[in-house]
Amino acid sequence: MLEVLNTPLFGITLSIIAFRIGLWVNRKIKHPLANPLLIAMGLIAIILVVFDIPFDIYEKSSSVIGLFLAPITAVLAVSIYRQRALLKESLLPVLLGTLAGSVASLLSIRWTCNLLGLDQVVLASLMSKSVTTPIAIAITEQFGGIPALTVASTVISGTLGNLLAPLLAKMFFISDPVAHGVGIGSCSHALGTSKALEIGEVEGAMSSIAISLSGVFTVLLAPFFFL
Amino acid sequence: MKILIQLGLLFGVCILGDLVSFVLPFAFPGSVISMLLMLFLLLSGLMKESTIEESANFFLKNMTFFFIPFGVGILRYAALIRSVWWQLLVVNFVSLLVCFAVSSWTVVLVTRLQKLWGGRRNA
Repeated sequence: MLEVLNTPLFGITLSIIAFRIGLWVNRKIKHPLANPLLIAMGLIAIILVVFDIPFDIYEKSSSVIGLFLAPITAVLAVSIYRQRALLKESLLPVLLGTLAGSVASLLSIRWTCNLLGLDQVVLASLMSKSVTTPIAIAITEQFGGIPALTVASTVISGTLGNLLAPLLAKMFFISDPVAHGVGIGSCSHALGTSKALEIGEVEGAMSSIAISLSGVFTVLLAPFFFL
Repeated sequence: MKILIQLGLLFGVCILGDLVSFVLPFAFPGSVISMLLMLFLLLSGLMKESTIEESANFFLKNMTFFFIPFGVGILRYAALIRSVWWQLLVVNFVSLLVCFAVSSWTVVLVTRLQKLWGGRRNA
């Protein structure tokens, strides 16, 4: 019976169904805590437990989905390309802002991890958690971290960023829409950006530019913070 | 056929990225090199946006789906998560505040400096 499920078809189909339900619930509830990725993950976990399907079978049969991380990262270039006019307008502030944000993120993660006594594997898994998930997973794999932990952390960061985006601007006295957008995109990638798009057009565009830029900066800088 | 060609081009760029990553003397993810290659191709006009538009849109719109298997992997680390869950939340929260404050204030300061210099040049 189980060998029937031991094909990529099972992993892909189960993931698609779970994701579809996750999106549906997200649209119904309309709250960032109803994250489609988290819902899909939870549903798959429940199905595996209830039907007594070993985790190995899902892992093996869904591993083909992971092959698409590279093309997904590559097409991020298309979204940068689409924002090129806007990027040109405020090139220096955006570049320096995302660069500073990446350094701040790496430093603060390193320090808090050390302070709380988390080990190197956990640190390697969290280093990249502010950036977009495909790049974050690549960085985690490079330093021998646990990709699952990275995905969980990027969802936490993204959701926090989404929830707190308007509050953060008030807390840190940010009124410039460009600065607000870059801040949101640098610390909470696409999940934060969906909130930035609600706040305003400039905020949204800047936030989506910051996603890819901070991803590149974090790849370049991470080796210096992980020693 | 159109989509197949687009996917072929996209995967080809990814293989090229992996190749460059393999040749580089230091560790650098091939996927990010592919992204930079793609950006170069688009900006230089060697590749038109319309050449890969449909498949790019497909991946950009459905990106989250592809993270599901990585996320479900968390089941394997349930014990680890249970032992460090509050630390994870603290790290996430602290770095979110620091990263937001630093990046947004850098933008504000750089913009102000630029205006200052621009103003002087015009005066």
